[in-house]
Amino acid sequence: MNIQNILRKLRRELDWLTIVQLAISLSIIFIFLILPVFLLVVNSFYSGGTITFKWFERVLTSREYVSLEPLGGALFKIERTGAGVLLFIMEGYDYGIILNSILVALFVTIFASIIGLISALIIARYEFPGKNIFRILILVPLLATPFVNAFVVGKVLGRQGVLNFILRDILGLPYTFIVGGLVGIVIIQTLSFFPIIYLNMLSSLINIDPSMEEQAENLGARGFTLFRTITFPLSLPGLAAGATIVFIFSLEDLGAPIALKGAFADDLAGRVISYRIYQNIISTQGGILKIDPTTYALSVIMLLFAAIGFIAIKKYVSLKTYAMLSKGGRWSPRVRKLSWKGLILVYMFLVPVVIIASFPQAGVVLLAVTDWATSGAFPSTTTMKNLMALVEEPDIVRAIGNSLTYSAAAVFVIVLVGTSTAYVVARKRLPGIDILDIIVTIPIAVPGIIVAVGYFILFSQGIFSGTPFDIFENPGLLLIFSYTVRRLPFTARAVFAGLQQTHVSLEEASLSLGASRVQTFARIVIPLIAANIIGGGILSFVYCMSEVSTSITLASFRPEQGPITHYMSSIIGGGKVGVISYAASLGVLLMTAQIISMAVSNWILKQRVAFLGV
Amino acid sequence: MVNVRLDNVVKVFDKVIAADHITLTIKHGEFFTFLGPSGCGKTTTLRIIAGLEYPDEGRIYFDEEDVTEYPPYMRDTGMVFQNYALWPHMTVFDNIAYGLKIRRLPMNEIKERVYRVLDLVKLRGLENRYPTQLSGGQQQRVALARALIVKPKVLLLDEPLSNLDAKLRIEMREEIKRLQRELGITTIYVTHDQEEAMVISDRVAIMRQGRIMQIGHPREVYKRPANLFVASFMGRCTILKGIVRRSGEITELSVDGVKILGVPSATDMNIREGSLAVAILRPEEFELVKPHTPSNEFEGVVEWSAFTGPYTQLRVKVSDKIKILLDIDPDSQIKVGSTIKCYIPYSDTIILPFEEGREITYMEES
Repeated sequence: MNIQNILRKLRRELDWLTIVQLAISLSIIFIFLILPVFLLVVNSFYSGGTITFKWFERVLTSREYVSLEPLGGALFKIERTGAGVLLFIMEGYDYGIILNSILVALFVTIFASIIGLISALIIARYEFPGKNIFRILILVPLLATPFVNAFVVGKVLGRQGVLNFILRDILGLPYTFIVGGLVGIVIIQTLSFFPIIYLNMLSSLINIDPSMEEQAENLGARGFTLFRTITFPLSLPGLAAGATIVFIFSLEDLGAPIALKGAFADDLAGRVISYRIYQNIISTQGGILKIDPTTYALSVIMLLFAAIGFIAIKKYVSLKTYAMLSKGGRWSPRVRKLSWKGLILVYMFLVPVVIIASFPQAGVVLLAVTDWATSGAFPSTTTMKNLMALVEEPDIVRAIGNSLTYSAAAVFVIVLVGTSTAYVVARKRLPGIDILDIIVTIPIAVPGIIVAVGYFILFSQGIFSGTPFDIFENPGLLLIFSYTVRRLPFTARAVFAGLQQTHVSLEEASLSLGASRVQTFARIVIPLIAANIIGGGILSFVYCMSEVSTSITLASFRPEQGPITHYMSSIIGGGKVGVISYAASLGVLLMTAQIISMAVSNWILKQRVAFLGV
Repeated sequence: MVNVRLDNVVKVFDKVIAADHITLTIKHGEFFTFLGPSGCGKTTTLRIIAGLEYPDEGRIYFDEEDVTEYPPYMRDTGMVFQNYALWPHMTVFDNIAYGLKIRRLPMNEIKERVYRVLDLVKLRGLENRYPTQLSGGQQQRVALARALIVKPKVLLLDEPLSNLDAKLRIEMREEIKRLQRELGITTIYVTHDQEEAMVISDRVAIMRQGRIMQIGHPREVYKRPANLFVASFMGRCTILKGIVRRSGEITELSVDGVKILGVPSATDMNIREGSLAVAILRPEEFELVKPHTPSNEFEGVVEWSAFTGPYTQLRVKVSDKIKILLDIDPDSQIKVGSTIKCYIPYSDTIILPFEEGREITYMEES
C-alpha cells in the first residue's frame, strides 16, 4: 500500500469523534502514566549530567539489597528463654531487600496457586451440600481492607497474639510461637491473593468444552490421567494469568509490610523493595525533591520483574486460547456428586481454607465493633464508638470526603477515557491500534509505587511547581489522575466486552441511514453498552476507594488532603494502637462499599465479572 | 433512483482479494443480484457501494456523482443487513423512524410516514414492540421498512433471507420483489442461493474469488453459462471432458470414445478441433423417450436412484469414465441395476472450453 492510500485511509477513519477520543485518552495516559515512568527510568541511569550505571551497580552489589548468604533471620528456629519457655520463631531468612521481595512473591504465587487450583477444581467439578456457601466465603479475602487485615494476622500470630495467649495463659504450656517477618508477609499475601487464582482457574475450567473431557474418557483416560493430559493443560492459561497477577500484586504490596513494621516493630517485614521505595519517598523533606537515586534503580528493577511477568503472560495466553475453540454439541457441565469419602476430603480442605482465609476480614469487623484493639487477646465489650467515628471524627470525615471526591472524579475520567479507548480499539481499523490496546492494559503491570515515584520526579519541579499539579501542594488532582490510569483497565475491559457482544452492523445501519459518527455514538453505541459502562464504572469506583500505593505516598506531604487509605496507613504504620479501631471502621466501610458495588455491577452486567483477569 | 457504476474496483484484505477489478453498471430501477459462494467478495462489493468499506482502487458513481470518498451517511442508501441489525433498545416505531429523526423531519410527518411504511410491510399494530418480541420474518420486515422509509437512492440487501426458514424465505422473496416493483427503486441484492437469485433478479452477477464471472438475465446465465464455474454453480449438472472432433454451430466432442454433440455457449469461444472442451448436461433436460429433435443417446446401467418428491434422481453408468445424472418422472419404476437409454437434445447440450487447473469430475452435484 502506498503512502497516498495510507493517508486516504487515515482521513476516512479519523473523523472528529475519533480524533477527540484519541487526543483526550492518549494525552491523559501519556502525561500520567507513560511520561512519569519514562522519567523514572531515565533518572535511574542519570547522575550529574551523565549516563551512569552506578545506581544499579550500587543496588546490585550491596549486601543490603542482594545477599546470597542470609543476613539474619531464620525460617524456623527454636530458642529457650531464661524463664524456660520454648520460643518457636518463624520469620524467614534475610537475603537482602531485592531477593527478599522476589522470594516472597514466588512463595506467595506458589502457595496461592496450590490453594486456588484445588479450590477451583472442587467447586467446578463436584456437587456437595453447602457448595454455594463455600463459593461466597472463598471470595471474602478479595474484600480489600488495606493494613487492617495484616494487623489482624499479626495480632493473632504475633508474640503477644491470640495464639500465644491461648497456649500460655489458657493452656499453660511453656511454648511461644513468633510468626512474622517475611513469613508473615507470605501468609498475609497468600490469604489475600489466592482467590484471584481461584477465580481465573474456575472460569477456565467452566469454559472447557465438556466434550473434550468426554472424548478423552471415551478413549480410556480417567482420574488423574484425564486431569494431567486434558483438564490441566486446557486450564493452564487461566492459572498462568492468575499467577502472574498474584506475583505482581505481591511484589508491589505495601499493606503487609507497613502494618507489620509499623504496628509490631517487625523490622524484617520492612525489608522488601516496595517498603524501601515507600520509605525513601516519604522521608523526603517537603518543598524540594531529595530522593536517594538508588530508589529509582530499585523501582526500575521492580518494574522489570512486573513487566517480564506481564509480557510473558500476554504472549502465553494469546498462544493458548484454544480452551474455547470448539463450542458445539451438548453443553452439560461436568459436575459430579461426591461419595462420602470424597465429601470428607473436600470438607477437610475447604473448611479450614475458608475459615483461615476469611479470619482477617472477620477480625477487621471485630476490631471495629469491639474494644479488641486495646483489650489484649480477646475483646471484652462491644462498642459503637469506632463506627460512629466515621461520621464524628473530623479527620476521618475529611478523609472519607477526600476519597469520595477523588474516586468520583477519577471514575468520571475513567469512564470517558475507558469508553473512548475501548471504542477506538474495538471499532477502528487504524494502523498501530493494537498498541493502544496494550497501553490501556499496562497499568495492571505497573506497580502503584512506581507510578508514585514517577509523579515525584515529574510533578515536584519545573513547570509544575506552584501549579495545581504541584505534588507538595496539591496531591488531590494528582491522586485523581493516578487513580484514573491505575483503574482504567477495569472499565476499558468491561466496555470492550460490551462492544464485542454488540454487532458492528448495528452501527453501520445507523450510518447508512444518514446518522453521522457522533450521532451514531450517542444514539446507538452509548445506549447499547450503557450497562457495561455503568458496571465497569462502579467496579473502578471501589477500586479507587481502596487504592493504596499512590494514595499513601502522594498524600504524605499534605495529610489533610489524604484519602482514607492514607489515613489508615498513618494509624497502623505509625503504630497508633489506641486508634487502630478507627482504621478498622474504615475497613468495614470499604468492605460494605465493595459488597454493594459488586452486587450492583454483577446485577447490571448480568454476569460474573472475571475481574483481575489479564 | 440512480444508476450505480463501479469502475475498476479493487479491495484486498490481508492477502485475500475480495474485489478484483470489478467494473459494472446497475441501471436505475433494476433489481440486480450478486451471486456466489461464501468468500467470493459479494458482500464486500455491496459494502463498498454502501460506503462501509472503501476500495483500494477504483471509483464508484451514483449517476454521474463520484461517491468513492463519501462516508456511508452521505450516500443516501438504505441497507438491510443479514442479521437485520435492529436496535434492541428501541421499539419498532423508533427503529423505523430513526432515519427521519436524523434528518430532523417534523414529528407529524415522521408519524405519517412510519405508519405508511408499516402498512406497506404489513406490520401495522406492532409499532410499540421491541425487536426481541418479534418473529424472524417480522424483524426482517422492520429492517426493510427502516431502509425504505428514507426513500434511499439505492436499496442494498445483504443476504436478507438467509436467517429465515425455507417457507418464510420463499414468501419474503416475493414480498421484496413486490415492494421493489411498486417503488421502482434501484436494488442491489446479495445471496449465495442461485434459485433465490434467479427468481428475484432482473440481472445476476456471478462472482468468484473477487471476480465477476458473468453478468446477465437469470435465463441467460443458466442456459448459456460463460464458463465452467458458472455452469456448475447455477444448478446441478454432469460435466464431461473430451476432445473436440468438429467445431461449429454444432460441436462434436469425443468423451472416452463416446460421441457427444452440443452447442457452444457463445460463438466467440475458443473451441477448435483437437482442443479440450467440456459438455454440460443438465439432469432435467434428459428424456427417456427419443425426442423428435436431434439428440445424444446414452445407454447404461442405473447405479443409484433417489426419490426426491417432484422427481427421481438417477445415476447412470455409461462407461467407466462417463456417469450421468438425470431426473425422471417420480412415478417410473426403474430399478437400480437395470439398463436404460436416455436422450438429451443437441440444443440443450452446452459446450464450454476446458479450463486448465480446474479438476474435472465426471459428475458434479450441487
